Amino acid sequence: MTVSRRDLLKGAALAGAAAALPGGLVGPAAAQTTQKRELVVAQGGDISSLDPHMSTSSNDIRISFNIFDNLTSRRPDGKLVPALATEWKLQGQQAWAFKLRQGVKWHNGDPLTSADVKFSVDRTYDPAAKTRVSTVLTTIERIETPDATTVVIHTKKPDPLLPARLGFYAGQIVPKKYLESVGPDAFNQKPIGTGPVRFVSWTKDDRVVLDANGDYWGGKPDFDRLIIRALPEMAPRVGALLKGEVDIATQLPPDQGERVKSNPGTIVSGALYGGLYVLAVNSKVKPLDNPLVKQALSIAIDRDVIIKELWRGRGIVPSGPIAKGDNHFDASLPALAYNPKEARELLKKAGYKNEEIVIETTAAYMAGDKPMAEAIQAMWKDAGVNAKVEVFEYSVRAQKNRDKSFKGLWWSDPTSTLRDPDGMMWRLLGPGGPQDYWRHAEWDELGNAARFSVDEKFRGEAYKKMTKIFLEHLPWIPVIQPYEDNGLQKYVEWNPDPLQQLEIRRFNFKFRRA
Amino acid sequence: MRTFLRFFASRAGRAIVALWLVSTVVFVVMRLSGDPTPLLLPPDAPQREILRLRAELGLDRPLPVQYAVFLGNLARGDFGQSIRFKGSAMAVVTERLPATFELGLVSFAVAVIVAIPAGLLAAVYRNRLIDHLAMGVALVGQAAPTFFIGILFILLISVKAGLLPTSGRGDWRHLVLPAVTLGLFAMASIARLTRSAMLEVLRADYIRTARAKGLAELLVVVKHTLRNAAIPIITITGLQFGGLLAGAVVTETVFAWPGIGRLAIQSIYNRDYPVVQCVVLLSAALFVVINLAIDAVYGLLDPRIRVR
Repeated sequence: MTVSRRDLLKGAALAGAAAALPGGLVGPAAAQTTQKRELVVAQGGDISSLDPHMSTSSNDIRISFNIFDNLTSRRPDGKLVPALATEWKLQGQQAWAFKLRQGVKWHNGDPLTSADVKFSVDRTYDPAAKTRVSTVLTTIERIETPDATTVVIHTKKPDPLLPARLGFYAGQIVPKKYLESVGPDAFNQKPIGTGPVRFVSWTKDDRVVLDANGDYWGGKPDFDRLIIRALPEMAPRVGALLKGEVDIATQLPPDQGERVKSNPGTIVSGALYGGLYVLAVNSKVKPLDNPLVKQALSIAIDRDVIIKELWRGRGIVPSGPIAKGDNHFDASLPALAYNPKEARELLKKAGYKNEEIVIETTAAYMAGDKPMAEAIQAMWKDAGVNAKVEVFEYSVRAQKNRDKSFKGLWWSDPTSTLRDPDGMMWRLLGPGGPQDYWRHAEWDELGNAARFSVDEKFRGEAYKKMTKIFLEHLPWIPVIQPYEDNGLQKYVEWNPDPLQQLEIRRFNFKFRRA
Repeated sequence: MRTFLRFFASRAGRAIVALWLVSTVVFVVMRLSGDPTPLLLPPDAPQREILRLRAELGLDRPLPVQYAVFLGNLARGDFGQSIRFKGSAMAVVTERLPATFELGLVSFAVAVIVAIPAGLLAAVYRNRLIDHLAMGVALVGQAAPTFFIGILFILLISVKAGLLPTSGRGDWRHLVLPAVTLGLFAMASIARLTRSAMLEVLRADYIRTARAKGLAELLVVVKHTLRNAAIPIITITGLQFGGLLAGAVVTETVFAWPGIGRLAIQSIYNRDYPVVQCVVLLSAALFVVINLAIDAVYGLLDPRIRVR
């Protein structure tokens, strides 16, 4: 989903140049408080669209989740809370009823009604609307609106995760009357939503300007104006933070943390990524079709060293396919182990005959991708694996992803869009999914049953069993669950979001004032 | 004048052929680079979604058909719809042109205003302090990569000294660092070439004669030497102006300057064919126009060239 994450380390070379300069880059006097009424945020790229149904990239959702609201909202602490819907409950097995918040108004003063909700959700998968989120809400069969504040959504099969699905991309509610009267192009130029900020202007490749919505149902945000600047290169982005031109700089690479921390006016604030960085495996090619080989590869990776050296400690070692912070994450499972001796024994047992094993990696699309691939290659060579690293361009990776033509292993940073294994391992590794390179009858049966069960206990058991099978067969080799860092001015009180949103609603953002 | 017009017409004809070649190369290279649809849809989008989007973008048709449509539209000045921005590619590009022109013209002006006097002085005071100083700076300007200089300026002048904004487009203060960064390479090349062209002419017999008949040194340098050294200086200056466009790609990215250089990078990453085609063709057209202008100036400056 994150076309923009390449920006994170795109300027790695530039970062090197920056880091090599004499230290002591001192910004403005350490201001612990401010009188500012304008919040300036720097991100790694420009937005591509203001219509929330036309993009899933993180640069875009940082803005669209603030112009618009969803029925439900995923807070930075991971909890799913009421937003435009104040309550929701299951009716039978296959219908969810949502009660809408009273008195919510669009930015043009029109009232929000259930017709807007039905229109928005239907629009996501309407072929004529040509949205980029047409697959997200396809469990829905039909939507009823018995009155202006009630929405009943019928699903094709039981869908325990519908409220969670509606809380992420594709779930933003758009204004039916306004959109229909001005048309999609004009709506994309000048959108209106119900969210905490109103759209003012967008200067492409420069900035988006938004004004605080004084009538917001969740309270007016703690600023009058929000400016989102696109600063693609990391060194200038950090420079703008150190000089005090921006209040929040997103996508801060780990090696820049020290600079930001040592500057008197700024701090680093990170969120544990709601997902994992894994080496995905093409289990159809030899010798990766042999689970013992994959176990050897996994146990030959010294993840602690990778985290310490390449991530400056900003990450944790995963225990399996479920990210920490997700539903059904099993805290009792040990972190994935490192044991080169056992790796050699496993390879021997597998009958490994020095076949070449290829890691395909982008250079700085995903944070740390190439250096991590090279480190792992060295670790595997030490364990007696004939490993090779091949570098490719992001667009080639996208093509191979589409054609399912990876040679061996490749980096993937699966996002847990629903904060549930269904939205991560099952979405990606399930039959027909984008990373379907491995099948296991029992695993498939469990994943399918868990998807369509509204019994959380049953689902929990299913994911436990699936994790066990996963750890034996390793269709992914999980490597790290990193922290995603941001640089902040000390006068900013704000919690970053594990799913790369920019939550600036009143409960999560405040300027510290004198 | 007739010979001059004929000379000019033949150059213009060549320019059109060059533009057609450029458009074809861009068309082919962009298609070779692959399909934009996987970059536009979420990774879990099913095959039928890909096919639908490919059809919507006209990418399901055979390449020769796409090429014919492309050329036909081009002849009418239509570059197609941007895949990423969902609007006319031309509009997407022209929206950014003022920013790039602003930056390009100011850098160019800075480069020429500094470089020609510097080269002149370096030639006149050859092997003296001013020569070593000017050529030393020029060497650094030519050798150091633009992104390095840009980041150095940001860190030293903006962040450490706090004198100018780090990035973005706004008032004149935002323009200083990117303009100097972008102009530096051109400045260095023009200064070095001015110096060597001047030195060559200064050695000529007629300059000795001019001096011998007692002309003031200033008159010798400006009227007799500079005029005769002008052809190579104008050539390199024109080429450097074209080169500024290439440099703008890096400078605009480093300084977050919202011009066509950044647009080009973004569009290549996203395989936004129509926008890339539009940027490349416009840049090529500009380059061609500059070259035509230089040719015309040659003809005016030096009658011998017209005849050839």
